[in-house]
Order: sequence, then structure tokens, then C-alpha cells
Amino acid sequence: MRPKENIEKFVRVRKPHVTTSRQMDKRTLNDSFTAMEQTIRAKSADHKPSTPRIITLSRMMKLTAAAVIIVAISFYIARQGPSEQGRTTKFLEVAESPSEIMTMKSLTIAYRRGGIEGIENQCEKALKILGPQPASISLGDLFNGSNG
Amino acid sequence: MVEDKILVWKFNRGSKDALRRIYEKYKDDLLGLAITLLRDRSLAEDVVHDVFVSFAGTAGAFHLSGTLKGYLSTCVANSARDRNRLRSGRDAGSDVAEAAGSNSDGPMERAIGREESGQLNDLLARLPYEQREVIVLHLHHGMRFREIAKALDISINTVQSRYRYGLDKLRSILNSVVTK
Repeated sequence: MRPKENIEKFVRVRKPHVTTSRQMDKRTLNDSFTAMEQTIRAKSADHKPSTPRIITLSRMMKLTAAAVIIVAISFYIARQGPSEQGRTTKFLEVAESPSEIMTMKSLTIAYRRGGIEGIENQCEKALKILGPQPASISLGDLFNGSNG
Repeated sequence: MVEDKILVWKFNRGSKDALRRIYEKYKDDLLGLAITLLRDRSLAEDVVHDVFVSFAGTAGAFHLSGTLKGYLSTCVANSARDRNRLRSGRDAGSDVAEAAGSNSDGPMERAIGREESGQLNDLLARLPYEQREVIVLHLHHGMRFREIAKALDISINTVQSRYRYGLDKLRSILNSVVTK
């Protein structure tokens, strides 16, 4: 009766030494490479991240996106400038002489703000600054005389 | 072990060279295992081929928990068992000795090797498939009983009893051969 160890040794030392054929190597490697490429291609197609996903995933991208948005808003505001109303108010504050008040630009802005009433108010303001004048004076003389 | 980890890391990043090196490293061992289990070289080649193709299909998501050799040996053993079930009833194995002896040694060594491995394969062929599987995985491929149990999805006690019964049967076969 052979002891257990002898049987184990008998089996162990007689391990078959086999080598694969070149045909098998070629077939297996070619098919394996194809399978590998297909898997990687499929995975890269599945996991192609969208732009919003890239932004949400990366902390740096989040900060950059926030900075870009702030810059864009600032640029937009800077280009738009102050509102029409603000501009008019500023213009009226600056336009102190009657000739400035009665320019086409000033009257157009007044019309936009208050229609015909706006123009009338503008004219009254100019006449108030000019003070009492003779009824025969022409419009040109009226404004030339005001050093406007 | 470390080399295998590096190879797997590269393989997961789509390195064909890593896959080729893994194949070159284990192909002969795995083919030997498949031949011992199936006793049919062409069937064994198909098993190894299928195992490597499906392994290649895991690129990018392969996670190695034990040894790479153990993992591949398990795959070959499982695939061989499926093939064995499919061809049940058909007697194969006429080319076992020839297949096992086809190595790159000289003619004399090849003849001795063929005779010895052929003798062992003839003996193992007399064992039930389950006992042969456990003996080969443990003695030829260095897998522990625990690993074999996990790979075959059976209890460690079953593995140990299959191993013990297999060795007892081999012993009695050898004794009968010696006394003749």
C-alpha cells in the first residue's frame, strides 16, 4: 500500500507539460484582441460624459463655469449701460441751459418718457429758465439770446 | 503576484501587450489542465480559447481578488466541466498521451515525458470527473481546498472527501498495476 504522500508526489511530478500550437496562439490572441477592442469601444461609447456632467463632476470646472457666468453677466450689463430712464434723468440733470433742454435729442427722450405732456413739461421748464420775453421774439433769437 | 497585478492593471487600461503576456504566461498550464480534465486536445484548446476570449471581454472592469493563475484555472475547470457534460457518453482520450507529450524537449525526453504523463492521464481517466478535477487543481495547479471549494461552488468538506477518495482509488489502481 502506497502512503498518501507518495501518491501525491507521483501525481505531482507527472504533471503533463503541454505547449500550445502556433495556430491556437494566433486564433486565441486574435479573437481575444477583437473581444477586448469591442468591450473598450462599447464602454467608451456608454461613458462618454456630456458637458453638464463634466462640469458637475469636476470641482475645478464648477469654479471655472461660475467665473465664466459672472464675467458674462458683467460684460452684458456693461454693454447695455444704464437704463433709458437713468440716462434721461442724468441728461436732464446735466442739461441746465434752455438750448440744451430744447435739442431734438432731449425732446425725443422727453416724448418717450411722457408723450406730448413730456414735451410740454420740457418746454415749460426751458421757458421758466428764460424768464419773461417779448411776444414778437423769434424762436431762433429766443435761444440765441440765452447763451445756450 | 506583483507582476500579475501590474499586468491586470495594464490590461484594464486596454493594453494588448499585457493581454498577450498573460496568455503567454499561462497558456501551457491551462491547456495541460484542460487536457487532463477532458482527455481531448482539440476540445481542450477550444476551452482555453473561450476562456481567454471571455477574459479579454472583461477589459476595463476586471477585478482580481485572488491569484490570476487561480482565476484562469477556475475558468478552465468550469468550462471543461460544461464541455464534459455536453459530450457525456462520448468516449474521448485517445490522443491524451500524444497531446501531453508534445513539448519542446528532445526526442528522448519527449518520449519519457509522453510515457509518464500518458500513464498518469490513463490512471486519472479511471477516476470520476469530480475527483479528477479536485486532484488536478490541487496537485498540478497549487490551488488550496478552500479556493477549489469557492471556485466550484461546493463545500470544503466535499472537496476534501473527493480528493481523499480520488487518491485512495488511484492508490488501489496503482497497487493492482504493480501486482500484475
